[in-house]
Amino acid sequence: MTEHANDYIKPELMACCGAREIQDGDVVIVGTGFPTMSANIAKHLHASGAVMMQESGVIDARPNRPALSVGDPCLNPGAAMIGGLTDIMGMCLQAGLVDVGFLSGSQVDKFGNINTTVIGDYSCPKNRLPGSGGANPIGSLAKRTLIIALHDKRRLAERVDFITTPGYINGPKAREQWGLPSNTGPHCIITNKAVMHFDKETGEAYLVSFHPGSSIEEIKAHTPWELRISKDVHETEPPRDDELKVIREVLDPHRMIKIYEQRGYV
Amino acid sequence: MSKVMTSKEAVSRFIQDGTFLYIGGYVCRPPFAIIHEIIRQRKKDLTITRSNAADDFDMLIGAGLVKRFIGTFLSLGVYGLGRCYRRSLEKGIPHIVEVEEYTNLSLPMMLMAGAMGMPFVPVRDMLGSDLMNVKSFMGENKYKKIESPFDGSPVLLVPALKPDVAIIHVQQADENGNAQMWGIGGDCQYGANAAAKVIVSCERIVSRETIGKDPSRTIVPAMKVAAVVEEPFGSHPGYTPGFYDVDFSFGYIYQQASNTVEGFEAFLKEWVYDIPDRNVYTQHYIQRFGYGAFKKLAAKFDYSYPVSYAY
Repeated sequence: MTEHANDYIKPELMACCGAREIQDGDVVIVGTGFPTMSANIAKHLHASGAVMMQESGVIDARPNRPALSVGDPCLNPGAAMIGGLTDIMGMCLQAGLVDVGFLSGSQVDKFGNINTTVIGDYSCPKNRLPGSGGANPIGSLAKRTLIIALHDKRRLAERVDFITTPGYINGPKAREQWGLPSNTGPHCIITNKAVMHFDKETGEAYLVSFHPGSSIEEIKAHTPWELRISKDVHETEPPRDDELKVIREVLDPHRMIKIYEQRGYV
Repeated sequence: MSKVMTSKEAVSRFIQDGTFLYIGGYVCRPPFAIIHEIIRQRKKDLTITRSNAADDFDMLIGAGLVKRFIGTFLSLGVYGLGRCYRRSLEKGIPHIVEVEEYTNLSLPMMLMAGAMGMPFVPVRDMLGSDLMNVKSFMGENKYKKIESPFDGSPVLLVPALKPDVAIIHVQQADENGNAQMWGIGGDCQYGANAAAKVIVSCERIVSRETIGKDPSRTIVPAMKVAAVVEEPFGSHPGYTPGFYDVDFSFGYIYQQASNTVEGFEAFLKEWVYDIPDRNVYTQHYIQRFGYGAFKKLAAKFDYSYPVSYAY
């Protein structure tokens, strides 16, 4: 009988949702925050053979605290290999070795396109955002992209203002027509209310599970596109005791994950 | 022949108004001592490039010295969006920087092509994204989309980048410029080798003999190097592996200061304009935050096994 604690916070649940999408043996590109947490939970529990890398050049880092950037000093000592961007983005990602990429975006649309460039018009921006960085190549070339987003009508969109990172672009077959590798693309969107997967026929995200405390109706009300519902839709499994134990005792004893509550992940 | 000189001399001799600069490092080893010297000498109309730009690029943009930015990304990491970068693009303060945007795959590959004398390089990203629809000063030469001459599949070609000057910060170099680096590399090695001239800033100058004890760590050979500058603590508030940690508290100070134009100007006055060189910068840091804070940044030692190249 699996035990579930009831004192978890939403970012912990989201990290667990990410972890459950990672399979043993996966090669995973992580950035910071949830992705690293998710990949590490998976590695400690059901996917001990998963290999993590950071775009800046690090493979199989052994940090003693959560990394705050892909250039974080804690990623250096103990890593299996340190090179540079071309080693990870070229030799691993472009070469087709990466199974899972984690991305988050200021704006995500129903096709899994992600905007991290600009809100409003590109040449006259309302809000200028950081830009692609590693997001575009990860979303273009990883076999399964897991997307983290806030669930409201501002962060989710029918159509993003700017496609920094292509999801299914404007529908099925679009990726292949543009020349992106055929076995790649968004796999799911994990929000603070739900988990959505992508319909390979239409390229659209649909609801798979709603987090405890949320409901299908509430999620539909906060989703700006006509959200289709899986026939197997269910409540998201809360963090299990073994998952929380890894998060709180091994990965993040100082509970740095709480900063995501301040960023709206509640 | 020794190429050792001060930052002041290196910047005044090798960087002019309008120079195309590659700047190495992301959190890890940003060449801040040289960047501050560029700001002090008011080198204008610069074109700057690197994948993953951070506070160093934000500062140059805020100081009004940048005309063009070939980039992929600019943020202050945990401290959010680059304030000066946003003010430039959203409000034209101090002026609008022209931005040519690539990605952390394509830009490092363009630097690699530059380093290797390749005219262009094929990449498999950017396809289907709006990065193909926005072209700035590079115009139609930002990329070319072709059908592969081998199998007919769509492929993007991006041009080689060949900066005039690269500035990098490394752990150690000899007086001729053989530069040795360890830890996260980013696009530093190709960026440096793509440039016509390299200014090497280092934590310590070592002998040619020391370089020869572990030559696999050399990322730039002396023949590419124009100047060697010894700048201990030279990448602060970034870090240099084996020397000192990243200074998150200082990152917060920069974020708070750069929230406003006035705050940013006051920051530059305190940490750049009123400071003649890196030694005084370090002294000012100690006076301001205490020796304890400075000492706390110092790296612990955890040595590798010695390597041997003997046969």
